[in-house]
Amino acid sequence: MSDKTKETLDKTAASRRRFLQAGLAGGAVLAGASAARAAGDPLITEIQDWNRYLGDGVDAAPYGSPSEFEAHVVRRDVPWLTADPVSSVNFTPLHELDGIITPNGLCFERHHGGTAIISPAEHRLMINGLVDTPLVFTMQDLMRFPRENRVYFLECAANSGMEWRGSQLNGCQFTHGMVHCVVYTGVPLKYLLEEAGVKTNGKWVLAEGADASAMTRSIPIEKALDDCLVAFKMNGEALRPEQGYPVRLVVPGWEGNMWVKWLRRLEIGDEPWAQREETSKYTDLLEDGKARRHTWQMEVKSVITSPSPQAPIAHGRGPTVISGLAWSGGGRIKRVDVSLDGGRNWQEARVDGPSLPKALHRFYYDFNWDGSELLLQSRAVDEDGYIQPTKNELRAARGSNSIYHNNGIQTWYVKADGVVENVEVS
Amino acid sequence: MLKFLKTGLLATGFVAAATAAYAADVGEGEKVFRKCAACHSVGEGAKSRVGPQLNDVFGRQAGEIDGFKYSAAMVAAGEAGVVWDEQTLTQFLVKPRDFVSGTKMAFAGLRKSADVANVIEYLKTFDSKMAGTVGQDEASDEEVQTAMADETPPAVAQDHAPDHDGAFGLGRVATEDEVAAWDIDVRPDGLGLPVGKGNVTDGEVLFTDNCAVCHGDFGEGVGRWPVLAGGQDTLTDSRPVKTIGSYWPYLSTVYDYVKRAMPFGNARSLSDDDVYAITAYLLYLNDVVDDEEFELSNENFTDMHLPNEGNFIPDDRLQEAHYANKAEPCMTDCKPGPVEITMRAQVLDVTPDSDDDSAGGQID
Repeated sequence: MSDKTKETLDKTAASRRRFLQAGLAGGAVLAGASAARAAGDPLITEIQDWNRYLGDGVDAAPYGSPSEFEAHVVRRDVPWLTADPVSSVNFTPLHELDGIITPNGLCFERHHGGTAIISPAEHRLMINGLVDTPLVFTMQDLMRFPRENRVYFLECAANSGMEWRGSQLNGCQFTHGMVHCVVYTGVPLKYLLEEAGVKTNGKWVLAEGADASAMTRSIPIEKALDDCLVAFKMNGEALRPEQGYPVRLVVPGWEGNMWVKWLRRLEIGDEPWAQREETSKYTDLLEDGKARRHTWQMEVKSVITSPSPQAPIAHGRGPTVISGLAWSGGGRIKRVDVSLDGGRNWQEARVDGPSLPKALHRFYYDFNWDGSELLLQSRAVDEDGYIQPTKNELRAARGSNSIYHNNGIQTWYVKADGVVENVEVS
Repeated sequence: MLKFLKTGLLATGFVAAATAAYAADVGEGEKVFRKCAACHSVGEGAKSRVGPQLNDVFGRQAGEIDGFKYSAAMVAAGEAGVVWDEQTLTQFLVKPRDFVSGTKMAFAGLRKSADVANVIEYLKTFDSKMAGTVGQDEASDEEVQTAMADETPPAVAQDHAPDHDGAFGLGRVATEDEVAAWDIDVRPDGLGLPVGKGNVTDGEVLFTDNCAVCHGDFGEGVGRWPVLAGGQDTLTDSRPVKTIGSYWPYLSTVYDYVKRAMPFGNARSLSDDDVYAITAYLLYLNDVVDDEEFELSNENFTDMHLPNEGNFIPDDRLQEAHYANKAEPCMTDCKPGPVEITMRAQVLDVTPDSDDDSAGGQID
């Protein structure tokens, strides 16, 4: 807790005491709530500190931060998941966010050799391999190509991976928080590849990072020339260091591991490279012992972000907002359905805000909660007509050891007291 | 930014003239520095106080000293490329708030050009790089240009003279040495393998010294670090053990990954022959070879095949029943009777502590 937060809480406590004392001195004998109703809400009837004393001037925070009352809205990790925090992951607090854009400081992190700190003046991007001319670009060179702005989600292929064997983590931050969505500013990868001149036998691109893991992934040339970006801004400002500053690859709709951060090299070849992250990892083991490879696209998926285990219903029965996210690596979301009874009956939810291809979509279902137990589910359908499957349908097709690409329907069990739990249902 | 540069450029002419007109004097500079000493210290054990310590200030980026609380403007100036040298210090000391608008330094400036030149000369005596050069003329113009080159707007940068035929003519041709330095990837067909060799026995020594701390002496894995050996015939088990021998399709991946990223935290420290030896040892640990004298080289590398190579299949997700059937989804009475809970996360209780204080504690 910051000193400032503590100070504020102390002040709040002090004014609460003053209120109580005033009540006692006045000889009030009614119970607290009705006393407040009779006298009026002290937050209104008493002059508050923030209404009397001056606040900070304009330069108190040259780079602004969220309100101190939002200090709990942070990325979280699950320590037991990985061997070491340097090669690990943390999770976006989806249950606290709304709309479709993720704030930069809350975008989940996944790196394999820690966050590389690279001065843009010392960063170089090389293109080599099956090209007419191997080239080297500085950041300044990159900034001179025509730019595009695009909103895309980025989802780790292992998002929801801990849930393959059943409900495990109690919070949609942990079950679904390896996804974020920002507006990227960057140069179409196509322009850079054309600048070097891809030879006719160039069918694959190897993207490589400058970090201590020298992250590498093979990307088919069709995708590279289609919608990939070499991005240097997110949500209008420079990429955050943990998101690949000064430059990263954007591979819309495809698994996050391919979005190589601290991008330093693009090699053109006639075959894929079978790098560590596309053989030993990011391949999907099936029940019969075979494993799928090159499972790049993220499938149609949705989750109710509130209520959820970290965001219980605190207000009791009556008007209630169900809020959630839906997305598909195939394009736009056509519609989202919500069930209150574990998938037996469904109602169409309301998608609100921009509906952009390969971006998060925000949906709402507004209803009057009668205080009875609920089994909440959401089910997305994308523009190609693919329907989000149940977890059991996925297990029937793949077994439980795929780790990656779990887009199954999530169930939240809402109890009568508003507490929410991650469960699986029949 | 641009405004900042213009001011800097305009001031340069005036400053150059000013510094040329006086022969700088260290002794006089020491006297002038008394005005500065209330806030700044120099010499042995100098510490940042109200202002940053000024030892070795030449060549330092503006706003660079760790732990000193600069104004945002000074940090921004440093990030914009301002490096302290004779020229920038002169501009700053004449009118600090003109050169870095928003600086915390309350000092109005040194009105006499001689004072500026002398105090700079005095500061040079606390500069390890400049030891012995004090009193001599500095060819500092070149340094200033270098320092500012990164921030020069493109319009006034060097003429745009492409060295290649690309549509934009941007970037430059990579040299062979540059490509060789970064292009170290190795493919399953052997493309990219360097000339070299290493045997199992040497690999065991290297592995023990460099790898065993995480992966265990026999590749069994320490803690949650990756298991590298064993696990054969476990891929259909409820808890498969995916190792080089049980799961990885290609040996080239081992060579490539060890060379690019291992040992963890000291990447690129192994020689090509070291990597061949470690790869040979991993083949031995996984029973792909059983001869301790076995030597792996670029000559025999592609003869080596890992047992699970044939078990990788293309992406056929869209043929799964739930995708292949694109019928309208069911909306009513989709399950027979009330839905039952079959599993609860609470029972496992592996969710990290959600106490607010611990959440806050994770911000850094």
